[in-house]
Amino acid sequence: MQTLPIPHVDPLPLPGPVWLFTALLLVVFTLHVAAMNSALGGGIWALWNYLRGRHSEHPFSRRLARELAAMLPSFLAFTVTLGVAALLFVQVLFGNFLYTSSILIGALWLSVIPLVMVAYYGFYYFSYTAEKGKGIAGCVLAISVCVLLGIAFIFVNNMTLMQSPERWLQMYRAHPNGWNLNLGDHSLVPRYLHIVNGAIALFSAILAHLGMRRMKVDAEYGRWIVQRSAMVFAACSGLQFLFGMWLLLAIPRQIAMSLLRDPLTGAVFGLALMSVVCAVLLVLLGSLAEKPGPLVHAGFGVSLLTLFLMVCLRYLLRLAYLKPYVSLGALAVRPQLGVIVIFLFLFVGGLATVGYMLWLVARSRNARVRAEVPN
Amino acid sequence: MNYPHWQLAIPGGMLIALVAVLHVFVSHFAVGGGFFLVVTESFARRKKDAALLDYCRRHSTFFALLTLVFGAISGVGIWFTIGLVSPEATSSLIHTFVWAWAIEWVFFFVEIAAAIIYAKTWDSLPARDHLIVGWIYFVAAWMSLFVINGILTFMLTPGRWIETQSFWDGMFNPTFLPSLVARTAVSFILAGIFGYITLPRHEGRERVARWAALWMMVGGMVLPLSLWWYFERIPKFSQLYLNGVLTGVRHAVRGGVSFTLLAMAIALVCGVWKPRWMRPPVVALLVVCGLGMIGAGEYLREFVRKPWVIDQVIYANDLRAAQVESLQAKGVSHTANFLLTTDTASAAYGENLFHLQCGSCHAAHGYRGMNRRVDGWDAEFAADILQHIHMLRGTMPPYAGNEDDRKALGRYLASLNPPWKLNITDANRLEVGEKVFAARCGHCHTVNGNFRPLRGTFEKQSASQVQEIFPVLGSINSDMPNFNAPDDQAQALAFYISHEANAPLSQKAAPAEMPTGTTRSQLARPALPRQEVR
Repeated sequence: MQTLPIPHVDPLPLPGPVWLFTALLLVVFTLHVAAMNSALGGGIWALWNYLRGRHSEHPFSRRLARELAAMLPSFLAFTVTLGVAALLFVQVLFGNFLYTSSILIGALWLSVIPLVMVAYYGFYYFSYTAEKGKGIAGCVLAISVCVLLGIAFIFVNNMTLMQSPERWLQMYRAHPNGWNLNLGDHSLVPRYLHIVNGAIALFSAILAHLGMRRMKVDAEYGRWIVQRSAMVFAACSGLQFLFGMWLLLAIPRQIAMSLLRDPLTGAVFGLALMSVVCAVLLVLLGSLAEKPGPLVHAGFGVSLLTLFLMVCLRYLLRLAYLKPYVSLGALAVRPQLGVIVIFLFLFVGGLATVGYMLWLVARSRNARVRAEVPN
Repeated sequence: MNYPHWQLAIPGGMLIALVAVLHVFVSHFAVGGGFFLVVTESFARRKKDAALLDYCRRHSTFFALLTLVFGAISGVGIWFTIGLVSPEATSSLIHTFVWAWAIEWVFFFVEIAAAIIYAKTWDSLPARDHLIVGWIYFVAAWMSLFVINGILTFMLTPGRWIETQSFWDGMFNPTFLPSLVARTAVSFILAGIFGYITLPRHEGRERVARWAALWMMVGGMVLPLSLWWYFERIPKFSQLYLNGVLTGVRHAVRGGVSFTLLAMAIALVCGVWKPRWMRPPVVALLVVCGLGMIGAGEYLREFVRKPWVIDQVIYANDLRAAQVESLQAKGVSHTANFLLTTDTASAAYGENLFHLQCGSCHAAHGYRGMNRRVDGWDAEFAADILQHIHMLRGTMPPYAGNEDDRKALGRYLASLNPPWKLNITDANRLEVGEKVFAARCGHCHTVNGNFRPLRGTFEKQSASQVQEIFPVLGSINSDMPNFNAPDDQAQALAFYISHEANAPLSQKAAPAEMPTGTTRSQLARPALPRQEVR
């Protein structure tokens, strides 16, 4: 039996089955990461193109930076919104681990809140001023991006620490005021690099998809976006292999071995590897093809599938870390069936409502385009 | 005891309050302001009022920048903060209401999407569609309030949930409806207040000023009625707090009422009567009033729940009521997961216990500092009084630890101030006696006040007769600590009590009679002031 200072699970039973919380966690976390990748990866793309676009020979860069500027605040809005749901469900399943690690790095963990606000207002500032292409817009965007990189680092610290209870007591005794970081964890750096690089990679796939839509209006500009993003996507995906290997070597040997021996993890891992290769090939071939549409769209779809598989893999890795201390199957469960049904109903209704509003926007845009085209 | 305690220089509860007040301020505006916008837009379009429509457009940008960024992120900030300061309580709430939060999240998601679309599509969406998005925003925002209101009110009035543990009993608890009406009223007031921030400079200024004042008035009329309804539904001991038993609560009530009345007066004078007077400094004052109103309201809502964070389940110091007995039997050093030291004889252990048991509401120094509260205490008295800590004014949780723990914490509390060196003379005897009374007796008693007055016991007794009782206090009443002050202090104290108890009563003073009856509740909750306060 373990003797580590792991807080007891809550005496109240879980208000729903573990599989439902797990499924919801995996789905909303995937969406959260997609939004986060768009905010962080998009911010880096916007910054690079903004700086490049200041020279007159790169008009496409300037245009892309401007377009991204308008999107960044919304990307961050949905990063936060979807992150709230992920935080909710992870607390239900692993609250005693997450609360503890959060307290241990409390000062930095809480600093995430003002930092997100700084990044968010920075994005808004950039969206209002990027058009002019001068002033401090670039500096503000750079600050926002740096802040997001810092937030990612704090998150990686917490997520690695929550699954390392053997570090907790020593860390608490060193700094009970929450000024700790999980720097002693060998997997911290590769995991951080894997996440940041992954954000650039995934946003590049998303950008390729957006580039296709731009091709309908301006073929040259759209193709430029597709080709650039395909190149970055391929390069970052290659780097992901290196960071992934580093991460695998950095996690404790017995956990890595148990992961590799587990058939489910092996299957997810294999599928993820295949899907990322597939996504890179599709996007690259699409960027070179005469009609890139189907290939790029397929590559975008497969890259989202890869993201989901990576999120599943991350979840399985957490389970492997926590295996000696937690058994989700043994948790007492008393489902609140009526409320679950209402939630699922409202969840679908909520998505439909957002879909309806987007449809209203698309309908008016289409009507405008039709009105602008002479008969 | 289950989780590590995050040691801060300020009380953890204060950190929560800081984040929560700012969030509540903006999030209620997010509800009322959304309604304000869509109704105003609808009115402006119907009347073809271009100036009013232009105001709506500008106001929606301000609205989005404030609510989407500060409002939404500070809401996440509350999640973060309560998880850091009260993980046990947060976990309990999550296990009870995760689906309520999930439902609230759906509304939040719709709200955010609608706010972004609404603010961005003034030029691109047809009027009807734009209004539809506005209405979707308001419904989602208000529903978000509806759900969260259930969880917040549950913490003070869990109602039948205590027996049934049913989600519905917890959600639709006794104060759910009055609180919902009060919060909606507050959101109207804030909609009006924030409406002035983007007040047009020229055309439409008067119309907007009067329109915003109308919103404040509607909210201002509903608010007192709903608060009265709320007051009627809260537990009796909470009502007593609000009735002015505690100084801090009294100030908060007065502050809240004053801020609200001042805001209403400004709205009437500078909004309705002379809109040209609604200049930026006046608007800033209005915003301060709004913040003060929210601050007072949230302070009172939190305070009247004491000593609980979830009534009858978890104390304000994140201690489960069910764990107290075990901790008193085994001691903290054998129970807590995260201690800086387990050496119960060390000074560090006492300090550690202070952070664990008291740190949610108190700091050693500064705001809610214990140094002022324990001035004049020696280690023995401090350790003794800890046994009776829940008796003080009913706002403190019971002390959860064994004798060694009490002694360790007692030593720490006594170390917060240098020992008293009093030079008592006939000239200063009364003054010193008052000081000793404040240190030794004043936490639980008054002489002529309305809180456990001592006049009835000591009236017509001389100082020496009063002093004779001191050595047997602990044996007269098991809820009293033993009296161990030095003789000179005892003499001064007896002189003070005798002097005050025999002084003529002012008209406002409470009847001088010792409260009767036992003070312990059958619910194992701390003594209820209801039973003791006249």
